[in-house]
Amino acid sequence: MQTLAELDLPHVAVEDPAFAADPVRHFREAKGQHPWIAASDIGYWVHDYTAIRDLLSQDDKLRPAYDGIIEIMGAHGTPWGRFTEQQMISLPVEQHRMLRTTFATKFTPRFANQLRPMMQATIKRMLDEWAPKGSFDFEEFASSFPISVMFTLVGAPVEEIPAIRASLETLGLAFSMDKSRIPEIHEAFARLETLVQRIIAERRASPEKGQRGDLLDLLIETSDEGGVPQRQLEDLVIFFFIAGYDTSKNVLTYTIRLLLDRPDLYERCAADHDYCRKVLEEGLRLFNPGSVPRFTDQDIVYRDVLLPKDTMLWFTLNISGRDQLAFSDPDTFNPDREIDPLTRPIAFSLGKHMCLGQHIARAQLQEALHQIAQRLRNPSLDGEYGWRPYPGAWGLKGLPIKFTPADAIPEPA
Amino acid sequence: MVKVKFVQADGSEKVVEIAPGLSLMEAAQSSGVPGILADCGGNCSCGTCRVFVEAAWRERTGTANELEQDMLEMHANRQDGERLSCQLTMTAELDGLVVSLPASQF
Repeated sequence: MQTLAELDLPHVAVEDPAFAADPVRHFREAKGQHPWIAASDIGYWVHDYTAIRDLLSQDDKLRPAYDGIIEIMGAHGTPWGRFTEQQMISLPVEQHRMLRTTFATKFTPRFANQLRPMMQATIKRMLDEWAPKGSFDFEEFASSFPISVMFTLVGAPVEEIPAIRASLETLGLAFSMDKSRIPEIHEAFARLETLVQRIIAERRASPEKGQRGDLLDLLIETSDEGGVPQRQLEDLVIFFFIAGYDTSKNVLTYTIRLLLDRPDLYERCAADHDYCRKVLEEGLRLFNPGSVPRFTDQDIVYRDVLLPKDTMLWFTLNISGRDQLAFSDPDTFNPDREIDPLTRPIAFSLGKHMCLGQHIARAQLQEALHQIAQRLRNPSLDGEYGWRPYPGAWGLKGLPIKFTPADAIPEPA
Repeated sequence: MVKVKFVQADGSEKVVEIAPGLSLMEAAQSSGVPGILADCGGNCSCGTCRVFVEAAWRERTGTANELEQDMLEMHANRQDGERLSCQLTMTAELDGLVVSLPASQF
């Protein structure tokens, strides 16, 4: 058995902008030196698909490492630090189980399906406003979609979307480990926390409480029935905003980038609602924003390597579908690819911390793609784009496109 | 120990022995039964451990609970007797249970 110190591990400069532009190449190079783990200044990176599955599914031996991030960022004792260390995913096992079980019923496929008409109406309204432009930054357009859905779900005032979107943009960069962002992170968190506390308080005091049947009603009712403290309800709604914003936005933006090179598939998305689901699943294999941090909660020996207790590990969910050992022709975008159960994509993580909002995310992305493909015809790249920092919520930074505006295709009766 | 027969979509069968108290999903995974994915580890979050309980056993297994039903809605091809195996706890009265698996959990 070898210790990490005894291994000649490659060092990956994950914080480097050049790394964010092509992490797949960098991790493939790292794999030449060691097959499944690399070192960095902020912890170790498990980048092999099979190793990710093997290790990340061991819930009993790992714990979320958000306290480690707060330590690195020097944010202990701040409101953002408190939230990050006490959000549902970071709670002790029993508290996490109780909260997750309490709220799980509101994040099911059935609930997500019930939201589809609202999601369709939201994206149609946005396209009515944006499509006539003929060209725009798709990332900016996409950034308005998940937040508009989330605002509708909790009955938040739409006039506050621009300010909260700016806050979520900042908070989405919080895990990039750039300490210079700390002042704006605190400001952004305060704005979001204030909004969430206000909408919950106003709903509780409103004669409409329990009558609207939206997600906020359901969460308040469920938390009251389950004896969930007010602070944890607020944290859940804050988490709902943070987790649902740039994840969905970045996936939608990257999927469109893929489709710009495949006009045949894009055309099919306009006509075939179900095919959009396949396109998105394949898109999630090629790209997703997440790399998840964990601490080892005990010594783990994996492939004859000792990972000592309290080692910080990052799991590269975001490029796990590009593993050349696990996937044939991994860089080719093929929505008709047969999914092997042993190498199915893991964009939404594994185990008890698997993304609670995955069914809502999938539904809103499918509805959005189907409508976008109808209204923005023959899209093409209209300039250069960049990349967001790799750790945290990775993705494209800007995606200028031009297109021919069109009316929606009437849905079959 | 109680016995359960898993029938794959291609007709192949495997009988495994399970300690009462474990879930059917845990039994399948520990016995190497393919086709039960259970990405969420048994937390009724992913819907990838679906099985179809043979008609003669449905009264004893009971029907899917509300959360299970809501999760099962992710599948297009719904069938009678479907359950998420992570929510089915094995008991002595389920000795001899027969379940079949879908061709795909997606």
